[in-house]
Amino acid sequence: MLFSLRCLVAFAVLQLFTVPSFAVSQINIEIGALSNDSIEARNADIQLNLKATPTIAFKTALKQPADKAWSQAQLRCQVPALWLQETWSCSDGKFTAARMSLPFVLDITPQPKGFVANLNLQGASFSDEAGLHAAEKLKGYLTIAVRQDGDTLHFNSALNWQSGEMFWQPLYIANGGHELQANGNLRSDILTLDTATLKLDKVGDLHFNGQVDTKTLKIQKLSADLPNLNLAEAYPLLFKPFLGKTLLNNAELNGKAALNVSMVDAQVKAFKVNLKDVNVDDKNHKFAFYDVNADMPWGYDDETKVHISYQHGQLLNMPLGRASISAQVNRYSLVAPEITLPILDGALKLSDISAARINDSWHWHLRAALTPVSMPDATRAFKLPIMQGKAAAEIPLVTYSGGILTTDGAMALNVFEGQVKVTQLTMINPLGKTPKLSADLTLRNLDLGSLTRTFSFGAIEGKLDGDVQDLEMVNWLPVKMDASLHSSPGKYTKKISQRAVENITALGGAGAAAAVQRSFLRFFEQFNYAKMGLSCKLRNDVCEMNGIESKQRGYVIVKGSGIPAITVMGYNQNVSWGELIGRIKRVIDGNTKAIVK
Amino acid sequence: MKKLLSGFVMIVSMFVANWVAAAADLEVNTPAIAALKASMQVRHGQLSTFYNSGAVGLTKDAFIAVKDATAVPLKDRGGLNSLVSAENADRANLYKEIATANGHPEWQADIQSTFASRWIDKAQAGWFYQSGGGWVKKWGLPQNGGQ
Repeated sequence: MLFSLRCLVAFAVLQLFTVPSFAVSQINIEIGALSNDSIEARNADIQLNLKATPTIAFKTALKQPADKAWSQAQLRCQVPALWLQETWSCSDGKFTAARMSLPFVLDITPQPKGFVANLNLQGASFSDEAGLHAAEKLKGYLTIAVRQDGDTLHFNSALNWQSGEMFWQPLYIANGGHELQANGNLRSDILTLDTATLKLDKVGDLHFNGQVDTKTLKIQKLSADLPNLNLAEAYPLLFKPFLGKTLLNNAELNGKAALNVSMVDAQVKAFKVNLKDVNVDDKNHKFAFYDVNADMPWGYDDETKVHISYQHGQLLNMPLGRASISAQVNRYSLVAPEITLPILDGALKLSDISAARINDSWHWHLRAALTPVSMPDATRAFKLPIMQGKAAAEIPLVTYSGGILTTDGAMALNVFEGQVKVTQLTMINPLGKTPKLSADLTLRNLDLGSLTRTFSFGAIEGKLDGDVQDLEMVNWLPVKMDASLHSSPGKYTKKISQRAVENITALGGAGAAAAVQRSFLRFFEQFNYAKMGLSCKLRNDVCEMNGIESKQRGYVIVKGSGIPAITVMGYNQNVSWGELIGRIKRVIDGNTKAIVK
Repeated sequence: MKKLLSGFVMIVSMFVANWVAAAADLEVNTPAIAALKASMQVRHGQLSTFYNSGAVGLTKDAFIAVKDATAVPLKDRGGLNSLVSAENADRANLYKEIATANGHPEWQADIQSTFASRWIDKAQAGWFYQSGGGWVKKWGLPQNGGQ
């Protein structure tokens, strides 16, 4: 039965219960130890009961030669009259080992050169030591027909998983209702599947065929087809467990997909992914794409064309309009002449796109142009105070390599009736947990009137220039910069309101404003000024502040002109960045009075 | 002589490690550190059940590891593994960011080893930590609440 004829019988006792000796009713065979190259048995007990319905029962301890622990196996079968043709019904089957219990019943019918078997698992459970491959309360049945033909073993099998749960790192399957049908043969270690279908309940049907070397587990040939995959069910079950470190690890997906893959010699030769009306929604709200349709063929030997389109979406809260993307794929590289991604009322136009996958990571370069986007919409999207104006950009070269996005060119924002230019923009992991950004900014001729109205700062009339060098932001907060803001050169009206004076003074810390409050200057609603400026050198969370000129005890922020002339001084040279932000927030929230007093 | 020399090297390296730990500001705060700590804080709520049940323990290199997945129902094991790997990714980043914020990226390894003993000191009674070649249960009266 379990042992080949090459078994080495080490110790055997044959007991015949022969009383009287001519009417044998039961034969007991006890075998102390038995072994061959692949399996060892001990304390085997075989009982042959020769009553009206003869039965054979065995119980034994088993193990592979390398194992330390012994497993227990037992089975009781009814012996049919024609025992080479009729069905053997076996019950009380059980295989028990450390962390494993497999109770089963088995029907087995001998066939010419083979057999047909029905194995019914009745609440099996197993686990490896680490608990990473385990199942509980498994119920299901396996039907298999095997026929030997020369050196080839043909089989037809159907596995039906009725109930029970399984964790097979990293996959978890909560319940049954899945089926596997496979027909094929085994010939000198090569397993050939002629047709096979895996039906995953609610997820879809996978049809596949191929050849695998059972010794090396190398796939020699595979063709797999998943024509109708329900992504809402498939994503948590099949995809999410493998996407742990990617951006897609916490998303909600729905829609349909069709997958098709062919492999030769363990290498993917071609695949095709089709998406139909798919919605992808990142639960961390970093991105979302709706009504995605895609046709993405890929071939190792052939150049292919991929098409992806979506109706709308968002990226870092920036609304994206309908887009249709086409690209040419040549093995591990991709080119596209032009892609237009509508953003708000403008569009990001990417051109001369080329990408290559080298050492498992993507490297991109492209030209980018942002056609004017309305600032009111953009600032609303970013939940900033609403700004007027337009933003546009022309970047001759954008490269993305190893998670780092660098730009060579300038983004221009026409805001507050002036210009803001962003150059040397670099981003590291923009969609990650700690996105990093570095850039240089130049601000020219910003209208202080609309700027102060937008940020609810006391009214100032005039124009502002600024330079922010070596700006470094982490998680969209500045950690390093050399920033200076100052009145633009040229002739224009320069007036500052009493409230703005209070607010600027409040930025310098409590106490400084008191001088203004106590003096007669508090009776004036606004003043003329000659120049204003403030700078911040931010390092290690400390802002080293300065104004337009240094004085013995501080620095001048606003230099008055005419009568009455007002001079606003700053006294804190080093201010904690957090404290400064807090002060600005309090000023904007209109709570300055509380601090000044 | 060789023994003496290696003893000397060991003492010096211990001194250097302690000096780094003493000199490094482990409480330094940057936006990156704040983001990582916030993310770890949220995760800690989910992880503490696993620390309590012994499913997860603290490793001697300042990470965490699945000690005994069988303490967790099958349906939660996938979540357990991704929780552990996400926590370890945040921790690795945290040590790197603290070293960078101190202006000494090369201190990362020392900062990490200081954190290893810190995490174990802060662990609640009943939690497991790696010591020598195996897992040790932290002794003490069990307490409630976060770390």
